[in-house]
Amino acid sequence: MSAITTLLQKPGALIECDDDPEAVFDLLCAKGWSDGLPVIPPTPERVARMLTYCDRDPGQPVIHVPPRFGAATPIRVAANAVMAGCKPEYFPLVLLALEALAEEQYNLYGTQATTHPCTPMLIFNGPVAKEIGLNSGHNVMGNYHRANAAIGRAVRLALVNIGAAIPGTGDMATAGTPAKFTFCVAENEAANPWEPLHVELGYPQDATTVTVVAAEGPHNVNDHESLSAEGILMMIAGTMATTGSNNAYYASQPVIAFGPEHAATVAAGGMSKAQVKQWLFDHATLPMSRWSPDNIARRFRRRQAEQYANAPLDTPIHMWAKPDDLIVIVAGGAGKHSQYVPTFGETRAATRPLKRADGELVKSIAELKRG
Amino acid sequence: MAQLTKRGVLAAVVCSDSFMKLGKAQAKVFGVPDLPLLEIKHPLGGLNMDKVRERAAVAMPQLLKFIKASREKTGSEQQS
Repeated sequence: MSAITTLLQKPGALIECDDDPEAVFDLLCAKGWSDGLPVIPPTPERVARMLTYCDRDPGQPVIHVPPRFGAATPIRVAANAVMAGCKPEYFPLVLLALEALAEEQYNLYGTQATTHPCTPMLIFNGPVAKEIGLNSGHNVMGNYHRANAAIGRAVRLALVNIGAAIPGTGDMATAGTPAKFTFCVAENEAANPWEPLHVELGYPQDATTVTVVAAEGPHNVNDHESLSAEGILMMIAGTMATTGSNNAYYASQPVIAFGPEHAATVAAGGMSKAQVKQWLFDHATLPMSRWSPDNIARRFRRRQAEQYANAPLDTPIHMWAKPDDLIVIVAGGAGKHSQYVPTFGETRAATRPLKRADGELVKSIAELKRG
Repeated sequence: MAQLTKRGVLAAVVCSDSFMKLGKAQAKVFGVPDLPLLEIKHPLGGLNMDKVRERAAVAMPQLLKFIKASREKTGSEQQS
Protein backbone atom coordinates (compact mmCIF):
# COMPACT_ATOMS: atom_id res chain seq x y z
CA MET A 1 0.00 0.00 0.00
CA SER A 2 1.46 3.38 -0.97
CA ALA A 3 2.03 6.13 1.59
CA ILE A 4 -0.65 8.24 -0.06
CA THR A 5 -3.20 5.42 0.05
CA THR A 6 -2.43 4.94 3.74
CA LEU A 7 -2.75 8.65 4.39
CA LEU A 8 -6.08 8.89 2.58
CA GLN A 9 -7.55 6.33 4.94
CA LYS A 10 -7.15 8.74 7.84
CA PRO A 11 -10.26 10.75 8.72
CA GLY A 12 -10.23 14.19 7.12
CA ALA A 13 -7.35 13.42 4.78
CA LEU A 14 -9.55 13.60 1.70
CA ILE A 15 -12.04 16.38 1.09
CA GLU A 16 -14.74 16.10 -1.57
CA CYS A 17 -15.42 19.20 -3.64
CA ASP A 18 -17.12 20.17 -6.88
CA ASP A 19 -14.83 19.62 -9.82
CA ASP A 20 -14.71 23.29 -10.63
CA PRO A 21 -11.69 25.60 -10.22
CA GLU A 22 -13.66 28.32 -8.50
CA ALA A 23 -15.30 25.90 -6.08
CA VAL A 24 -11.92 24.40 -5.18
CA PHE A 25 -10.39 27.83 -4.68
CA ASP A 26 -13.32 28.97 -2.55
CA LEU A 27 -13.04 25.87 -0.40
CA LEU A 28 -9.28 26.22 0.13
CA CYS A 29 -9.60 29.92 0.97
CA ALA A 30 -12.40 29.14 3.41
CA LYS A 31 -10.12 26.58 5.08
CA GLY A 32 -7.29 29.11 5.19
CA TRP A 33 -5.11 26.94 2.94
CA SER A 34 -4.00 29.51 0.43
CA ASP A 35 -1.94 32.61 -0.14
CA GLY A 36 -4.95 34.36 -1.59
CA LEU A 37 -4.18 33.44 -5.19
CA PRO A 38 -5.76 30.58 -7.17
CA VAL A 39 -4.13 27.18 -6.81
CA ILE A 40 -4.01 23.85 -8.61
CA PRO A 41 -6.26 21.41 -6.70
CA PRO A 42 -4.02 18.92 -4.86
CA THR A 43 -5.76 15.71 -5.89
CA PRO A 44 -4.22 12.39 -4.77
CA GLU A 45 -3.13 11.72 -8.34
CA ARG A 46 -1.35 15.04 -8.64
CA VAL A 47 0.31 14.67 -5.25
CA ALA A 48 1.53 11.19 -6.20
CA ARG A 49 2.91 12.57 -9.44
CA MET A 50 4.67 15.40 -7.55
CA LEU A 51 6.62 12.74 -5.65
CA THR A 52 8.09 11.29 -8.86
CA TYR A 53 11.48 12.86 -8.15
CA CYS A 54 11.46 12.36 -4.38
CA ASP A 55 13.73 9.66 -2.99
CA ARG A 56 12.61 10.21 0.62
CA ASP A 57 10.11 8.27 2.67
CA PRO A 58 6.96 10.22 1.78
CA GLY A 59 5.50 9.82 5.26
CA GLN A 60 8.54 10.83 7.31
CA PRO A 61 8.81 14.52 8.29
CA VAL A 62 11.61 16.44 6.65
CA ILE A 63 11.20 19.23 9.18
CA HIS A 64 8.67 20.47 11.71
CA VAL A 65 7.49 23.92 10.76
CA PRO A 66 6.93 26.50 13.49
CA PRO A 67 4.97 28.14 14.97
CA ARG A 68 2.60 25.14 14.91
CA PHE A 69 5.55 22.73 14.47
CA GLY A 70 3.52 20.86 11.89
CA ALA A 71 5.19 17.81 10.38
CA ALA A 72 6.38 18.60 6.87
CA THR A 73 6.28 15.16 5.30
CA PRO A 74 7.03 14.90 1.60
CA ILE A 75 3.35 14.11 1.00
CA ARG A 76 2.20 17.28 2.71
CA VAL A 77 4.88 19.38 1.05
CA ALA A 78 3.94 17.80 -2.29
CA ALA A 79 0.33 18.89 -1.82
CA ASN A 80 1.56 22.45 -1.34
CA ALA A 81 3.86 22.14 -4.35
CA VAL A 82 0.91 21.04 -6.48
CA MET A 83 -1.12 23.99 -5.25
CA ALA A 84 1.77 26.35 -6.04
CA GLY A 85 2.04 25.14 -9.64
CA CYS A 86 5.28 23.18 -9.38
CA LYS A 87 6.38 20.58 -11.89
CA PRO A 88 7.51 17.31 -10.26
CA GLU A 89 11.09 18.15 -11.30
CA TYR A 90 10.98 21.19 -9.01
CA PHE A 91 9.99 19.24 -5.94
CA PRO A 92 13.47 18.20 -4.67
CA LEU A 93 14.42 21.89 -4.58
CA VAL A 94 11.33 22.71 -2.53
CA LEU A 95 12.27 20.05 0.01
CA LEU A 96 15.89 21.20 -0.01
CA ALA A 97 14.84 24.77 0.78
CA LEU A 98 12.68 23.60 3.67
CA GLU A 99 15.58 21.56 5.06
CA ALA A 100 17.78 24.64 4.92
CA LEU A 101 15.13 26.71 6.68
CA ALA A 102 15.14 24.17 9.51
CA GLU A 103 18.79 24.84 10.33
CA GLU A 104 18.98 26.48 13.73
CA GLN A 105 20.91 29.53 12.70
CA TYR A 106 18.17 30.56 10.28
CA ASN A 107 15.76 31.05 13.21
CA LEU A 108 12.63 29.91 11.38
CA TYR A 109 10.49 30.26 14.48
CA GLY A 110 11.45 33.88 14.93
CA THR A 111 11.18 34.75 11.25
CA GLN A 112 7.77 33.14 10.92
CA ALA A 113 6.17 34.96 13.84
CA THR A 114 7.97 38.31 13.83
CA THR A 115 6.44 41.72 13.17
CA HIS A 116 9.34 42.37 10.73
CA PRO A 117 8.59 41.99 6.99
CA CYS A 118 10.89 39.07 6.25
CA THR A 119 10.43 35.96 4.15
CA PRO A 120 12.76 33.23 2.90
CA MET A 121 14.83 34.40 -0.06
CA LEU A 122 15.91 31.25 -1.87
CA ILE A 123 19.19 31.54 -3.77
CA PHE A 124 19.95 28.55 -5.98
CA ASN A 125 23.31 27.69 -7.51
CA GLY A 126 24.51 24.86 -9.68
CA PRO A 127 23.50 22.69 -12.62
CA VAL A 128 20.07 21.51 -11.47
CA ALA A 129 18.90 25.09 -11.01
CA LYS A 130 19.72 25.72 -14.65
CA GLU A 131 18.36 22.35 -15.79
CA ILE A 132 14.88 22.92 -14.39
CA GLY A 133 14.66 26.43 -15.78
CA LEU A 134 15.21 28.71 -12.80
CA ASN A 135 15.64 32.23 -14.07
CA SER A 136 18.86 34.05 -13.24
CA GLY A 137 18.58 36.80 -15.85
CA HIS A 138 16.17 39.61 -16.65
CA ASN A 139 13.50 40.17 -13.99
CA VAL A 140 15.18 37.58 -11.75
CA MET A 141 13.33 38.83 -8.67
CA GLY A 142 10.09 39.47 -10.50
CA ASN A 143 7.28 37.54 -12.12
CA TYR A 144 6.87 35.30 -15.16
CA HIS A 145 9.22 32.35 -14.79
CA ARG A 146 7.39 29.28 -13.55
CA ALA A 147 10.21 27.63 -11.61
CA ASN A 148 11.04 30.77 -9.63
CA ALA A 149 7.40 31.59 -9.00
CA ALA A 150 6.28 28.08 -8.09
CA ILE A 151 9.23 26.91 -5.98
CA GLY A 152 9.19 30.04 -3.84
CA ARG A 153 5.41 29.88 -3.60
CA ALA A 154 5.44 26.20 -2.62
CA VAL A 155 7.79 26.97 0.26
CA ARG A 156 5.60 29.86 1.38
CA LEU A 157 2.44 27.74 1.18
CA ALA A 158 4.13 25.05 3.28
CA LEU A 159 5.09 27.66 5.87
CA VAL A 160 1.47 28.78 6.06
CA ASN A 161 -0.41 25.50 5.66
CA ILE A 162 1.93 23.25 7.65
CA GLY A 163 3.50 25.79 10.00
CA ALA A 164 0.41 27.97 10.53
CA ALA A 165 2.14 31.23 9.67
CA ILE A 166 -1.29 32.80 9.43
CA PRO A 167 -1.46 36.60 9.58
CA GLY A 168 -2.55 37.81 12.99
CA THR A 169 -2.19 34.47 14.77
CA GLY A 170 1.09 32.87 13.68
CA ASP A 171 2.58 35.49 11.38
CA MET A 172 2.56 38.78 13.26
CA ALA A 173 4.14 40.89 10.49
CA THR A 174 3.07 44.48 10.87
CA ALA A 175 2.85 44.98 7.11
CA GLY A 176 4.61 41.98 5.54
CA THR A 177 6.10 42.19 2.07
CA PRO A 178 5.03 41.26 -1.49
CA ALA A 179 8.04 38.93 -1.41
CA LYS A 180 5.94 36.63 0.80
CA PHE A 181 4.22 35.32 -2.31
CA THR A 182 7.53 34.04 -3.66
CA PHE A 183 11.19 35.11 -3.52
CA CYS A 184 13.30 32.61 -5.41
CA VAL A 185 16.30 33.33 -7.63
CA ALA A 186 19.15 31.54 -9.31
CA GLU A 187 22.55 33.19 -9.33
CA ASN A 188 23.68 34.29 -12.79
CA GLU A 189 26.87 32.27 -12.68
CA ALA A 190 27.66 32.84 -16.35
CA ALA A 191 27.77 36.60 -15.79
CA ASN A 192 29.60 36.41 -12.49
CA PRO A 193 33.17 37.74 -12.65
CA TRP A 194 33.88 36.21 -9.23
CA GLU A 195 33.33 32.73 -7.87
CA PRO A 196 29.62 31.87 -7.46
CA LEU A 197 28.17 31.73 -3.98
CA HIS A 198 28.25 27.96 -3.56
CA VAL A 199 31.90 27.75 -4.64
CA GLU A 200 32.80 30.57 -2.24
CA LEU A 201 31.15 28.50 0.49
CA GLY A 202 33.28 25.46 -0.34
CA TYR A 203 30.99 23.40 -2.57
CA PRO A 204 32.10 22.02 -5.93
CA GLN A 205 31.14 24.00 -9.02
CA ASP A 206 28.87 21.15 -10.13
CA ALA A 207 26.99 20.96 -6.82
CA THR A 208 23.46 22.32 -6.70
CA THR A 209 22.76 24.30 -3.56
CA VAL A 210 20.16 26.47 -1.98
CA THR A 211 21.04 29.34 0.33
CA VAL A 212 18.16 30.69 2.39
CA VAL A 213 18.13 34.21 3.76
CA ALA A 214 15.45 35.74 5.98
CA ALA A 215 15.02 38.69 3.69
CA GLU A 216 13.13 41.88 3.21
CA GLY A 217 12.10 42.66 -0.34
CA PRO A 218 14.90 43.94 -2.58
CA HIS A 219 15.92 47.61 -2.54
CA ASN A 220 17.06 48.91 -5.92
CA VAL A 221 20.42 50.59 -6.55
CA ASN A 222 20.28 52.66 -9.74
CA ASP A 223 23.67 53.73 -11.07
CA HIS A 224 23.87 54.63 -14.75
CA GLU A 225 26.78 57.02 -14.38
CA SER A 226 29.66 55.51 -12.41
CA LEU A 227 32.54 54.34 -14.53
CA SER A 228 34.71 52.95 -11.73
CA ALA A 229 34.48 50.19 -9.13
CA GLU A 230 34.55 52.73 -6.32
CA GLY A 231 31.79 54.73 -7.97
CA ILE A 232 29.44 51.74 -8.21
CA LEU A 233 30.25 50.65 -4.67
CA MET A 234 29.73 54.16 -3.33
CA MET A 235 26.18 54.18 -4.72
CA ILE A 236 25.49 50.73 -3.30
CA ALA A 237 26.86 51.70 0.11
CA GLY A 238 24.59 54.73 0.12
CA THR A 239 21.57 52.52 -0.48
CA MET A 240 22.62 50.08 2.22
CA ALA A 241 23.12 52.72 4.92
CA THR A 242 19.67 53.33 6.36
CA THR A 243 18.55 53.94 9.92
CA GLY A 244 15.45 51.72 9.75
CA SER A 245 17.30 48.51 8.95
CA ASN A 246 17.50 45.62 11.42
CA ASN A 247 20.95 44.94 10.03
CA ALA A 248 22.40 47.92 11.88
CA TYR A 249 21.80 46.18 15.20
CA TYR A 250 22.40 42.46 14.66
CA ALA A 251 25.17 40.19 13.45
CA SER A 252 23.30 39.35 10.27
CA GLN A 253 24.04 38.66 6.64
CA PRO A 254 22.40 41.00 4.15
CA VAL A 255 22.67 40.30 0.42
CA ILE A 256 23.95 42.43 -2.40
CA ALA A 257 22.82 41.05 -5.74
CA PHE A 258 24.96 42.80 -8.30
CA GLY A 259 23.44 43.31 -11.71
CA PRO A 260 25.89 41.79 -14.21
CA GLU A 261 26.90 45.20 -15.61
CA HIS A 262 27.66 46.63 -12.18
CA ALA A 263 29.57 43.46 -11.30
CA ALA A 264 31.63 43.71 -14.48
CA THR A 265 32.56 47.33 -13.77
CA VAL A 266 33.60 46.53 -10.21
CA ALA A 267 35.59 43.45 -11.23
CA ALA A 268 37.26 45.38 -14.06
CA GLY A 269 38.50 47.74 -11.38
CA GLY A 270 40.49 44.82 -10.00
CA MET A 271 38.40 44.15 -6.92
CA SER A 272 37.95 40.63 -5.61
CA LYS A 273 34.77 39.56 -3.85
CA ALA A 274 36.52 39.83 -0.49
CA GLN A 275 37.67 43.36 -1.32
CA VAL A 276 34.13 44.29 -2.33
CA LYS A 277 32.85 43.08 1.03
CA GLN A 278 35.49 45.03 2.92
CA TRP A 279 34.88 48.21 0.91
CA LEU A 280 31.14 48.08 1.43
CA PHE A 281 31.54 47.28 5.13
CA ASP A 282 33.82 50.29 5.55
CA HIS A 283 31.60 52.70 3.60
CA ALA A 284 28.03 51.54 4.31
CA THR A 285 27.90 53.44 7.57
CA LEU A 286 25.99 56.28 9.14
CA PRO A 287 27.06 58.45 12.07
CA MET A 288 25.17 57.57 15.24
CA SER A 289 23.74 61.10 15.18
CA ARG A 290 21.46 60.07 12.29
CA TRP A 291 19.34 58.01 14.68
CA SER A 292 16.70 59.64 16.86
CA PRO A 293 17.72 60.64 20.40
CA ASP A 294 15.60 57.82 21.87
CA ASN A 295 17.24 55.29 19.59
CA ILE A 296 20.68 56.56 20.53
CA ALA A 297 19.85 56.40 24.23
CA ARG A 298 18.06 53.06 24.23
CA ARG A 299 19.30 51.04 21.25
CA PHE A 300 22.95 52.06 21.31
CA ARG A 301 24.00 53.53 24.65
CA ARG A 302 21.98 51.14 26.84
CA ARG A 303 21.60 47.87 24.90
CA GLN A 304 25.06 47.97 23.35
CA ALA A 305 26.69 49.79 26.23
CA GLU A 306 30.05 48.07 25.89
CA GLN A 307 30.48 49.52 22.42
CA TYR A 308 28.52 52.77 22.48
CA ALA A 309 27.91 53.94 26.08
CA ASN A 310 30.28 56.86 25.74
CA ALA A 311 30.84 56.92 22.01
CA PRO A 312 30.75 60.32 20.29
CA LEU A 313 27.77 61.06 18.05
CA ASP A 314 29.88 60.90 14.90
CA THR A 315 30.77 57.26 15.59
CA PRO A 316 30.16 55.29 12.37
CA ILE A 317 27.48 52.61 12.65
CA HIS A 318 28.11 49.70 10.32
CA MET A 319 25.24 47.96 8.58
CA TRP A 320 26.46 44.47 9.47
CA ALA A 321 28.90 43.11 12.03
CA LYS A 322 31.83 41.70 10.03
CA PRO A 323 32.92 42.42 6.44
CA ASP A 324 32.67 38.80 5.34
CA ASP A 325 29.08 38.51 6.55
CA LEU A 326 27.82 40.30 3.45
CA ILE A 327 26.48 37.80 0.90
CA VAL A 328 27.55 38.78 -2.62
CA ILE A 329 25.84 37.29 -5.66
CA VAL A 330 25.30 38.28 -9.27
CA ALA A 331 21.75 38.16 -10.57
CA GLY A 332 19.67 39.72 -13.31
CA GLY A 333 20.05 40.75 -16.92
CA ALA A 334 21.28 43.79 -18.81
CA GLY A 335 20.94 47.18 -17.18
CA LYS A 336 22.56 49.39 -14.59
CA HIS A 337 20.78 48.17 -11.49
CA SER A 338 21.72 46.07 -8.46
CA GLN A 339 19.60 44.90 -5.56
CA TYR A 340 20.28 45.25 -1.86
CA VAL A 341 18.39 42.79 0.32
CA PRO A 342 18.36 43.57 4.06
CA THR A 343 17.36 40.85 6.49
CA PHE A 344 15.49 40.10 9.69
CA GLY A 345 18.71 40.59 11.64
CA GLU A 346 18.55 37.81 14.21
CA THR A 347 19.24 35.17 11.60
CA ARG A 348 22.08 33.61 9.67
CA ALA A 349 21.90 32.24 6.16
CA ALA A 350 21.88 28.47 5.69
CA THR A 351 23.16 26.58 2.65
CA ARG A 352 22.44 22.96 1.72
CA PRO A 353 23.54 20.88 -1.25
CA LEU A 354 21.15 18.70 -3.24
CA LYS A 355 22.10 15.09 -2.54
CA ARG A 356 20.70 11.67 -3.34
CA ALA A 357 19.65 9.31 -0.57
CA ASP A 358 23.09 7.66 -0.84
CA GLY A 359 24.77 11.00 -0.02
CA GLU A 360 26.13 11.70 -3.50
CA LEU A 361 25.67 15.14 -5.04
CA VAL A 362 22.90 15.31 -7.61
CA LYS A 363 24.28 16.41 -10.98
CA SER A 364 20.99 16.07 -12.88
CA ILE A 365 17.42 15.96 -11.68
CA ALA A 366 16.95 12.75 -13.69
CA GLU A 367 19.03 10.93 -11.04
CA LEU A 368 16.17 11.34 -8.60
CA LYS A 369 13.43 9.96 -10.83
CA ARG A 370 11.75 6.93 -9.35
CA GLY A 371 10.44 3.90 -11.24
CA MET B 1 7.76 29.18 30.32
CA ALA B 2 6.31 25.96 28.96
CA GLN B 3 9.34 24.07 30.24
CA LEU B 4 9.08 25.68 33.67
CA THR B 5 5.38 24.85 33.86
CA LYS B 6 6.06 21.23 32.95
CA ARG B 7 8.62 21.08 35.77
CA GLY B 8 6.03 22.29 38.26
CA VAL B 9 7.29 25.84 38.56
CA LEU B 10 4.63 28.55 38.60
CA ALA B 11 5.08 30.43 35.35
CA ALA B 12 3.13 33.01 33.41
CA VAL B 13 3.70 35.09 30.29
CA VAL B 14 3.04 38.80 29.93
CA CYS B 15 1.32 39.20 26.57
CA SER B 16 0.01 42.31 24.86
CA ASP B 17 -3.56 42.16 23.57
CA SER B 18 -2.46 42.14 19.92
CA PHE B 19 -0.48 38.96 20.54
CA MET B 20 -3.02 37.02 22.61
CA LYS B 21 -4.04 34.74 19.74
CA LEU B 22 -0.42 33.84 19.08
CA GLY B 23 0.20 33.34 22.81
CA LYS B 24 -2.76 31.01 23.23
CA ALA B 25 -1.87 29.05 20.10
CA GLN B 26 1.75 28.66 21.21
CA ALA B 27 0.73 27.55 24.70
CA LYS B 28 -1.23 24.72 23.08
CA VAL B 29 1.62 23.86 20.71
CA PHE B 30 4.04 23.57 23.63
CA GLY B 31 1.66 21.38 25.62
CA VAL B 32 0.64 23.88 28.31
CA PRO B 33 -2.77 25.12 27.11
CA ASP B 34 -3.57 26.57 30.54
CA LEU B 35 -0.40 28.64 30.73
CA PRO B 36 -1.53 31.98 32.19
CA LEU B 37 -1.21 34.90 29.81
CA LEU B 38 -1.14 38.20 31.68
CA GLU B 39 -2.85 40.48 29.20
CA ILE B 40 -1.67 44.06 28.85
CA LYS B 41 -2.42 46.75 26.33
CA HIS B 42 -0.25 46.79 23.18
CA PRO B 43 2.48 47.92 22.66
CA LEU B 44 5.15 47.12 25.21
CA GLY B 45 8.08 48.23 23.04
CA GLY B 46 8.93 51.89 22.63
CA LEU B 47 7.32 53.08 25.88
CA ASN B 48 8.55 55.49 28.48
CA MET B 49 8.79 54.26 32.07
CA ASP B 50 5.44 55.73 33.09
CA LYS B 51 3.68 53.70 30.40
CA VAL B 52 5.65 50.61 31.37
CA ARG B 53 4.51 51.07 35.00
CA GLU B 54 0.90 51.40 33.81
CA ARG B 55 1.16 48.03 32.11
CA ALA B 56 2.86 46.49 35.12
CA ALA B 57 -0.03 47.72 37.24
CA VAL B 58 -2.41 45.86 34.93
CA ALA B 59 -0.33 42.68 34.87
CA MET B 60 0.42 42.47 38.58
CA PRO B 61 -3.14 41.77 39.84
CA GLN B 62 -3.46 39.04 37.22
CA LEU B 63 -0.21 37.52 38.45
CA LEU B 64 -1.27 37.65 42.10
CA LYS B 65 -4.64 36.11 41.23
CA PHE B 66 -2.87 33.28 39.41
CA ILE B 67 -0.48 32.65 42.32
CA LYS B 68 -3.33 32.68 44.83
CA ALA B 69 -5.42 30.27 42.74
CA SER B 70 -2.44 27.96 42.32
CA ARG B 71 -1.80 27.91 46.10
CA GLU B 72 -5.45 27.20 46.86
CA LYS B 73 -5.44 24.37 44.35
CA THR B 74 -2.24 22.92 45.82
CA GLY B 75 -3.68 23.23 49.35
CA SER B 76 -6.92 21.46 48.47
CA GLU B 77 -4.98 18.70 46.72
CA GLN B 78 -2.82 18.17 49.82
CA GLN B 79 -5.91 17.98 52.08
CA SER B 80 -7.73 15.45 49.88
